[in-house]
Amino acid sequence: MAEETYPHKFNYFFGFLNLAGVFVIVWFLWYVFMNPNTVMKLYTPMYGFALVVVFISGILAMSNVCRLPDIYGSQVKTVNPVVKGIVLTVVAFFLMIFINYILFWGFIGKFGVAYFSPDSIVISGGTGAEPYVARENASTAIVYFFAVFLWMVLFWDLGFGRWPWQANSLGVRVWSKMFVILFFVIFFYTILFHPHVCYLFYPAQDKAGVAPWWEEMAGTGSAFFSLGLILCTLVWIVFSSVLWEGRPWNKLEEKNEPNFSKGFVVFVTTLTLGIILLFVLLQIFTSIWGEPFVGGQYTDGPDWRYIHGAEVAGFFLLAAFIWKNYFNNFPNIKSVWGRCVIRSIIAMALGMLIYWFYFSPLATFFLAKVEGFAQPGDTPLVWTLLFLSIILIQSDFFDGWPLKRGKNKEIG
Amino acid sequence: MKRRAFLKSMAAGGLAASVAGTAGMMLPKEAAGAKKIDIGEIKGVKIDVLTETSWFDNDQFKKDIMDYGGAMTNQYTIPWKWDNAGGYATLITVTTLDGQERKFMMDFGWNTEWMDYIYEEKSDVASLISKDEIEFWVLSHWHLDHFWGVESTLKRKQDITLYAPATYYPEDMALLKEKAHHKAKDKETGEMMHICKNDYPHTGKLVLCDEKGEKGEGIYRLMPGVAVKYYDVPILLRVRGENVLYFNVKDKGIVTVTGCCHPGVLSLFSYARKNFAGYKPYGCYGGLHISLFETWEPKFDDIIKGVKAFKIQKLGCNHCTGWIWAEKAAAAGIPVVKGTNKYKSYKKTSTVAKASNVFLTNGDTVVF
Repeated sequence: MAEETYPHKFNYFFGFLNLAGVFVIVWFLWYVFMNPNTVMKLYTPMYGFALVVVFISGILAMSNVCRLPDIYGSQVKTVNPVVKGIVLTVVAFFLMIFINYILFWGFIGKFGVAYFSPDSIVISGGTGAEPYVARENASTAIVYFFAVFLWMVLFWDLGFGRWPWQANSLGVRVWSKMFVILFFVIFFYTILFHPHVCYLFYPAQDKAGVAPWWEEMAGTGSAFFSLGLILCTLVWIVFSSVLWEGRPWNKLEEKNEPNFSKGFVVFVTTLTLGIILLFVLLQIFTSIWGEPFVGGQYTDGPDWRYIHGAEVAGFFLLAAFIWKNYFNNFPNIKSVWGRCVIRSIIAMALGMLIYWFYFSPLATFFLAKVEGFAQPGDTPLVWTLLFLSIILIQSDFFDGWPLKRGKNKEIG
Repeated sequence: MKRRAFLKSMAAGGLAASVAGTAGMMLPKEAAGAKKIDIGEIKGVKIDVLTETSWFDNDQFKKDIMDYGGAMTNQYTIPWKWDNAGGYATLITVTTLDGQERKFMMDFGWNTEWMDYIYEEKSDVASLISKDEIEFWVLSHWHLDHFWGVESTLKRKQDITLYAPATYYPEDMALLKEKAHHKAKDKETGEMMHICKNDYPHTGKLVLCDEKGEKGEGIYRLMPGVAVKYYDVPILLRVRGENVLYFNVKDKGIVTVTGCCHPGVLSLFSYARKNFAGYKPYGCYGGLHISLFETWEPKFDDIIKGVKAFKIQKLGCNHCTGWIWAEKAAAAGIPVVKGTNKYKSYKKTSTVAKASNVFLTNGDTVVF
C-alpha cells in the first residue's frame, strides 16, 4: 500500500467518481466470471471463491512481500502508472493461474496432499468423489490456505515489518519474509482448517487429520469458526494499518523499526480483539435471528453465524480500503485519536451500508444472487475480495491512477 | 453468555476459555413464553412415498449443474438430461379425531412420463384424482423435481386447489397457468432442448403462501391438526422459499412433512417449539436436504447431534437427505425408519440406493 503525494487538494467528488468506476469494473468482472447466468459461471461457489482468494493473495504477495511495485519503480526511469499497472496486473493474473492450477492442482495435489487436486480426489474414488464435488473440495482447501496467507501477510507487515532482516539486502528480506510467512501459514492452516478438510470426505480421513477440535466449544465442526476468527482479527490489523496510520503499535518501535516485542504484542492483541469482535457480532446475530443450535441450518446454524461474522468483517475491511483510497481517509484533523476514531466509525457505517447493499434486491439485480440470508452456495466474501483486489490493483499497481499521482516509495 | 461473563472468563482462563464460553449459546433453549398457536389435533397421519427418486443418476445430475454454472444457476437455463429425471411426490392420508380419512398430496414430480407411470401403474393416485378423493395439493417449493411434472396431475384435473410458495418466478407461473413449453440451450450444440411443459393450465384456487400466513398467524390451517408454514429461505438453482407441513398427532406430538426441508429439520422443530401450543417433538418425514450429493461436511455431524438433542422419536427420510447421512444417523442411534425393497420393482432405481434401506423409498409407507 504505497503512500501518495497530492499535488493538489484532494477532490472528494473525483474520489467518489473513481469509486463508482471501480464498482462498475467489479460488476463487469462479476458479470463475466461469476454471474451464474452469463459467461464463465465460476461462482459454484468454492471454485470462484478460490480463484479470487488466490488472486488477492498474489497481489499482496507481490506488493507487501516482494515489493514488486517499488522494484518496478526503481528499475524504470520514468514510470508510467498505466503501463506499470497493466504489467503488474498481468503478472498477478498469471500468478493466480500458476498458483491455483499448476502449484496446487498440478503439483502439491498430485505429489503430496491429494485434497488440493480435483483429479487426485476423483482418482481416489469412493462416495461423492466425482468432478464437481472434487473441484469444490479442492477449492475449499485452497480458500482456507490463502485465508491464512492473507492474515499472515497483513499481520506481518503491521507487526514485524522488516524485522529481523532490516540490515539485510532486499533479496534476503523478500525471500526470508516469504518463507517465514509460508511457515506460519502452513502451521495455522494445519491447526485451524486441515481437520475440516479431512472431514469433507466419506469416510472421514481421520488418519490424516483429527476431528475438528473446536467442535464442542464452537457448536459446529465447520471451519467457518476459524474463518470467522481470522476475518475478525484482520479487521483490527487493517483498521490499524489503513485507518490508524499504524497506531497504537508504532509506540513499541525502536528507531522507527519494528521488533519482536511489537510483533508479538500485535499478534496477541489483534487476535484477542478479533475474538471479542466475533463474540459481539454473534451476540448481535442472536438478537436478530434467535439462539443458534447445534445442527441448525441457514440462519439457525452456528457454522453460518461464524461465516456471517467473517462476512461482516469483510465488509468492514472493504469499507476501510474504500475510505482510505477514495475519500483520502477523511477527516485529516490534528487530533490523532479524533481522526482515528472518526474514520473507524465511518468505516463501520460504510461497511453496514455495503452489507445492506449485498442483502438487498440491488444485489439480485447486479450480482444475480438469490434474495435472502444464508443462501447455500453464496458468501459475500467472494464479491468483497474481488472488490478489494481491484482497489489494491489501482492503489498499488497503478499508483492510484487516475485519482492520484503516485510517488515511488523507498523500497522497504 | 453475557458479555461481562465472557470478559471475565477471558481474564480468568485466557483466549481459549473465552471462546469456549460462547458454547453455551449453541445449546437448544426453550423459547420465551410468546403467544402460542393451537393448530388442533389429528389421530394419525399416513405417508405413502409415491416417488422420491427425483433423479436416478446422481453424478449426471451434478454434472448438469456443474456444466451450467453451479449452485446458483437458474434451473430453467440447464438442458437437463430428460432420461435422468424422475420426481418427488407424496400422498398424505390424515385420520381425523373422529376417524374420518382425508387425503391430499404434496408436490408433482418432474418427468411427466415417470409421474404417469407412478400415478397409473405404481399407485392408485390416478383413480383417486378421477374420483375427486384428493382434497388439495401443497407445493413444497418451485424446484424442477417437485413442480415440473405438474402436467401429469393437471391433465387429470385442472381445477385443483393448490397451496404454493408466493416466491415464484415468471417461468414458474407460466408453466402452471400459461401452457408454457420451456427450453434451454445446449452449450455444446447450441440446440434448444425441451426441459418442461404443461398444456393443461391450472384453473383452480391458488393460495400463495407467505411468511405472514393466514390472519397473520404465520401458518395456513389446512384442517384441524394440520398446517402449512412458509419459510422464506434462498435455495439452490435460484429458487426461493419452501412450504412445510405440520401435523399435531394426539398423544404423540408434532410431525413435519417436507419436500426438501431446505430450512433445516431442526429449524422446523425450533419454530414449532416457539409457536405451537403443547409442543412435543415426535417425527419427521421427507427429504431433509443434508448430503444430497452423497458428500460429507463436518456440519452434517452437527445435525446428527442436533436431532438427538431435539429428541425426535421417528425419522423417516429420503430424497435429498443423502444415504450416507441416513446411515450415519442410524448408526449414531437416531430412530431412522427403515424402508423395504419395494423400490426394486420400479422400472428405474437410484444409483445411490443401498442395502441398508435407511431411506423410505418408492412404494414405502410410514405412519405417525
